[in-house]
Amino acid sequence: MSDQDRISASVAVMEGQAVCAACGQDLGLATEPWKEHAQRREIPLAQAGGPAFDTGHEGVVLRHFYCPSCAALLDTETAMAEDPTLNDILASRG
Amino acid sequence: MDPMTFSIIRHRLFRIVDEAVITLKHVSGSAITNEGHDLMVSLYRADGTLLMGGVGFLHHLTSAAEACKSIIRRFEGDIHEGDIFLLNDPYTAALHTSDIYLVSPIHHEGRLVAWSACFVHVYDIGAVNPGGFAPQAPDIYTEGFSSPGIRLVSGGEMRQDVLDTILNMVRSPEMVTLDLRSMIACNNVARDRMQSLMTKYGAEEVDTACAELVRQSEDLFRARLSELPDGQWQSRQYLDVNGVTARVNLTMTKREDRLIFDFSGSDPQSPYSINCTKWASLGGLFAPLFPLLCYDITWNEGVLRPVEMIAPEGSIVNCTRPAPVSVATVGAIQSVNNAACSTIGKMLGASEKYRDQSTAVWHANHFAIFKFGRNQKGSESIGILTETFAGAGGARSFADGVEIGGEIPNPISRMANVETVEAAFPVRYLFRRRAPDSGGPGEFRGGTGGELALVPHKAPDGGIHYVISGKGARHPMSEGLAGGYPGAPNSYVWIKAPEDGANAPVTAAGGLDAIPGTQERVSWGVYPLMGRDALYVRWNGGGGHGDPIVRDPDAVCRDVAAGLVTAQSAGDIYGVVLNDGAVDETETQAKRKGIRSARLAQEAAE
Amino acid sequence: MAGTGETSYLVATDVGGTCTDTIIFGTDGVIHIGKALSTPPDFATGVLNSIVSAAEPMGLSLEELLVRTHLFIHGSTVVDNAVLTRDGTPTGLLTTQGFEDTLNVTRGAYGRWSGLTEDRIKNPVQTDRAPALAPRDAVVGIPERMDSDGEVVVPLDEAAVERAVRFLVEEKTVGAIAVSFLWSFLNTDHERQVRDIVRRVAPGAYVTLSSDIAPSPGEYERTSTAVINAYAGQITNDYLTSLQDLLAGKGYAGATMVMQGYGGLLPAAEAADRAVGMIECGPAAGVIGAKFLGDLMGDPDVIAADMGGTTFKVGVIQDGKLEYAREPMVDRFHYLAPKIEVVSIGAGGGSIISVDPRTGVPHVGPRSAGARPGPICYGQGGEEPTLTDVMLLIGYMDPGQFLGGSITLDREKAERIFKEKIADPLGVSTQEAAIGIYRIASAQITDLIREITVERGLDPRDFVLHSFGGSCGMLAAAFGRELSVRRVVIPYTASVNCAFGLVSADVAHEYSVTKSLPATTGAAEINAIFTPMEEQARAQLAAEGIAADRMRMKWSVDLRYSRQVHEVTTEIAAGSPLDDAGVAQLVDDFEALYERKYGRGSAYREAGIEMTMFRLTARGLMPRPTLPAEEEGETDASAARTGIRDIYVEAEGGMAPGDIYDFEKLSPGNHLKGPAVIHTPITTIALPDRMTARMDRWRNIVVEFDAD
Repeated sequence: MSDQDRISASVAVMEGQAVCAACGQDLGLATEPWKEHAQRREIPLAQAGGPAFDTGHEGVVLRHFYCPSCAALLDTETAMAEDPTLNDILASRG
Repeated sequence: MDPMTFSIIRHRLFRIVDEAVITLKHVSGSAITNEGHDLMVSLYRADGTLLMGGVGFLHHLTSAAEACKSIIRRFEGDIHEGDIFLLNDPYTAALHTSDIYLVSPIHHEGRLVAWSACFVHVYDIGAVNPGGFAPQAPDIYTEGFSSPGIRLVSGGEMRQDVLDTILNMVRSPEMVTLDLRSMIACNNVARDRMQSLMTKYGAEEVDTACAELVRQSEDLFRARLSELPDGQWQSRQYLDVNGVTARVNLTMTKREDRLIFDFSGSDPQSPYSINCTKWASLGGLFAPLFPLLCYDITWNEGVLRPVEMIAPEGSIVNCTRPAPVSVATVGAIQSVNNAACSTIGKMLGASEKYRDQSTAVWHANHFAIFKFGRNQKGSESIGILTETFAGAGGARSFADGVEIGGEIPNPISRMANVETVEAAFPVRYLFRRRAPDSGGPGEFRGGTGGELALVPHKAPDGGIHYVISGKGARHPMSEGLAGGYPGAPNSYVWIKAPEDGANAPVTAAGGLDAIPGTQERVSWGVYPLMGRDALYVRWNGGGGHGDPIVRDPDAVCRDVAAGLVTAQSAGDIYGVVLNDGAVDETETQAKRKGIRSARLAQEAAE
Repeated sequence: MAGTGETSYLVATDVGGTCTDTIIFGTDGVIHIGKALSTPPDFATGVLNSIVSAAEPMGLSLEELLVRTHLFIHGSTVVDNAVLTRDGTPTGLLTTQGFEDTLNVTRGAYGRWSGLTEDRIKNPVQTDRAPALAPRDAVVGIPERMDSDGEVVVPLDEAAVERAVRFLVEEKTVGAIAVSFLWSFLNTDHERQVRDIVRRVAPGAYVTLSSDIAPSPGEYERTSTAVINAYAGQITNDYLTSLQDLLAGKGYAGATMVMQGYGGLLPAAEAADRAVGMIECGPAAGVIGAKFLGDLMGDPDVIAADMGGTTFKVGVIQDGKLEYAREPMVDRFHYLAPKIEVVSIGAGGGSIISVDPRTGVPHVGPRSAGARPGPICYGQGGEEPTLTDVMLLIGYMDPGQFLGGSITLDREKAERIFKEKIADPLGVSTQEAAIGIYRIASAQITDLIREITVERGLDPRDFVLHSFGGSCGMLAAAFGRELSVRRVVIPYTASVNCAFGLVSADVAHEYSVTKSLPATTGAAEINAIFTPMEEQARAQLAAEGIAADRMRMKWSVDLRYSRQVHEVTTEIAAGSPLDDAGVAQLVDDFEALYERKYGRGSAYREAGIEMTMFRLTARGLMPRPTLPAEEEGETDASAARTGIRDIYVEAEGGMAPGDIYDFEKLSPGNHLKGPAVIHTPITTIALPDRMTARMDRWRNIVVEFDAD
């Protein structure tokens, strides 16, 4: 892993740390799940994206993960409430 | 070998696949093959490994390789020049029974030197429901005829008893005959052209070039993987059938020049026919891998070698007999496509060099709807709603997804004109257009999907019926990237005409809610489209890329003007305030600031 | 019109992408040729320059020529150019409410990948739609609806039309309006009502109705056609009007006929309102020219190959018949109009040669150095080796003989860069590398032509290959042999073939009626469809001054097997009006054609056969100029031999001495044996070993392969 790499277009890497690509906020080690350091919010699907997302069915949420500093939306996940978070991590090369 | 001769042989191998595809389309003449491009032709080496894959439904490239290999195992010592074998058993290699493989050995001077294989989605396979997708099938036994390998043509002669037996088990045997004939002609062209290539350059020289081609692909792909960061990316897909939700979980790990797709944690196989076998899963993950990672590398065995798949037995992505699988291609396989597209998109997005190649998930959910019944000319017809091939593009790291832009696993599909459908079936469209808010919001928006409504029109029997294997009406499946939202889910609505006897709607420019009657969601099974009722279908948009509140406000304004985004979503999701059709910059800034504080305030409250 | 006793002239000028070519036929039997650079967007200047360049050697001024000219025939890329450069009139679209997105949505993903090469299709993430010529905010849905029988389901809302027209003209400031409603080709009432309203509300707007310009099923293609026509309509009108005014100002008093993409001519006034008809009319004329030559030489089956600097174009003439494109496209937009099929591939003398640094494999194209900077050897700043440079390195081009010696080719620089960028990375000598690249180019063209013929169910071995264009003569014999064509012809008129095609064409109109009928339909019902079309056609031709004895009517029907997508246009061979035996013959002919085109076993009689479209081609025969023919004299060509030079010789596997000939010194009847090279003022013809060439009585070079 190098500073050229990112975890995603919204989460960058600096000296081995995951950081918000917009403001540089530290999100923990890039080799660990960064979402644990993000602000998480679960929105019922029906309220997530306008009427087209209202399926008439309960139990599905759109998870948002925000930068705790600048509130940038870093990632989303479609999820049933009980399902675990999806984690993306980089490995240290060596 | 001499690089010029290599270059010539390589070019010719591509053209051989092209010529075979042309032959397949010509002889078949069916709409699903010619318009939907629901086909595939590829060449294999003597041991059945993939040599050259064409542009067709890409999830077949690896399964057809397995079909070759299983024919080699089953018929070892009994494979002769001019033979053609048929295989459509999903537990052997096929994706589902209606996608029939015809596999043909290619001999040169008496020696087995290569294989060609092709498939089309045949008109019917004799499953419990017409058209091949069988939502009412409880097991593989009710999904029609299936064979783990049978000799259809022996030494150039059709085995009439075998053909008659197959045709005896299907609806519309004439149409299936044409499908089979087209595949035979296709394999014959591939064989003849391969033989003349070998006559011109020598079998040894051609085989050396083939080995070199595979080696090059492997080297190029490994080199590309080495350039990408090491890491682990996850994705998840939900498939809902009749109120039951199944999960496909994927963890993709990249280490140096290897890639591992691990589906551990996926749900057990379903009682419904959305399951897929392991060969189908392997095909499913390669379908996005080829165009996303290997767009400039020849698609062959070399690309397969650095990739490993783990799929737990008895799960929805590696089901065991007799689980039903007829809806696999638009069920678990498509979910594997999507899950792989998502993790590959994430990995590409993690690389400075390849970020422009990353994409959110495209059109994640086919709505397989087969219309059937007596048409206005009095003949019985079966036909797929080709709008499902219209798809929607996922957003990219640099641009919006393409509106109604197709799908990754089948890059060159088309949908039929409204006039073509209305001429063939006794129905009338009320509208067909891009569906507002269907594209996943993001800094770059997912491409919109579409919506349509149909009513019966001058139907001799008062209407028709349709088989629907619709999923994705409860969960969005076109996942976004880097903060982009998923595309909106599918929607299938049966509008039952009001009891008061009001006439069927003649037009409904206002959309679904302008159609009089009560709305009932449907998704799985056989339903009528009769009398004054209507059917509404909305198909999913592509996933978005990036945070919607940093999208260029002018782009949002244009989307609203074009009807692609509603004014409400422009405000709520994009934080853009419009005044008289123009962006109010001050209000927009304030609105976006407000959204940011609300995001963190929400957190503080929790 | 010229005075009696004086020579009078037929002048034909074709505006191509690079050059504007003129050919002049005198009543004295002499042919004159002219060439000038095209001058987009003001094409008329190039037209006059080109005519002047032909008139000058005749000792005539432009005025002197034009006053003696009885007919001017013209083809132009004006419409292609307007679409490619997005230089048309801002255009709005009125369509059926509920289907406003049809133009933008095309037919699903189709609009995202159509018109792209396979390499680009394999990388869908980097593909996009081309923005529509009528932007979505200038599309207005109108309440109205017909059904598949052409019956009105929703009547036209005239007030809504009036509001929409005002909106488009006043707020969107469009200058052109296309109208395309569902099923309008079966019932044109609503579209016609709209045209009346537009004429009343916005008399200045240019209007195109889809039911006028493309009365065929398939709303996406029909709408796209109407929009292209509306978009380019005003430009086409202005262009043809101003060209005619210019010619009239120089003393021309005759008629102007304009070439159409289907290979027929229309009077300029009619052509002006059918802009889509002019798309790719130049290449179509090229195929017509090849057909004329084929007919003259007794070869009904011809593959016409044209290779210039950037593109390779192929047209196929089978049994003296031309093939029409199934899905014609301009830029990346589909349209519905009869058009002669010409397949175009990005390969030419300017194709850039490269070696993939990752694999060490050499590639020809797909990038092109185009006309600028062009090949290295042209010395115009080209720094990347091209196919033309390779031709020079293998001795096929003479540095001092290019374009009659007007440019000296820089062999030293071409060799130096080729060695550094190609030969060294390949690890072979410059000569070996150049020969290898030549073999690759020849093999790839072989593959492409094979694919084109296979797509049509044809076997290249049955065909004669005609070679046109500046680069084709150096490759044609090589790929012709690999395709095993019967022989290769490099026509005398090859350099101005499209202009030559203009004078080989007739006035032609295409009419059609879409109607679905079973193949069992009686002759009377079919005659009732054709008779009114034929009456209309005869009136039209008469109005254009065509005498009744020069009118030719051809009836044909599109048929298909039920539930199958392939439709085959089948000519009615029996006389008209039809009797029931004639209908039976039509169905038999369809089945034979179908199997020939789509392969053995493709016919599907069990499903039943349908007729879907009834087509009338009405031709008014034009006087055909005769090509001057000379007696074939002695076979010895030594008088034209100018020397010996090392050229690529396949049998030697390398460079070996070959004879060099001057085309202008050859005379009819001369025989040449390969390996040899023939230099003409505009191109070079390579005659590989184991081949013989002959100059025939029309001064065409005819190449035959020695028996193995």
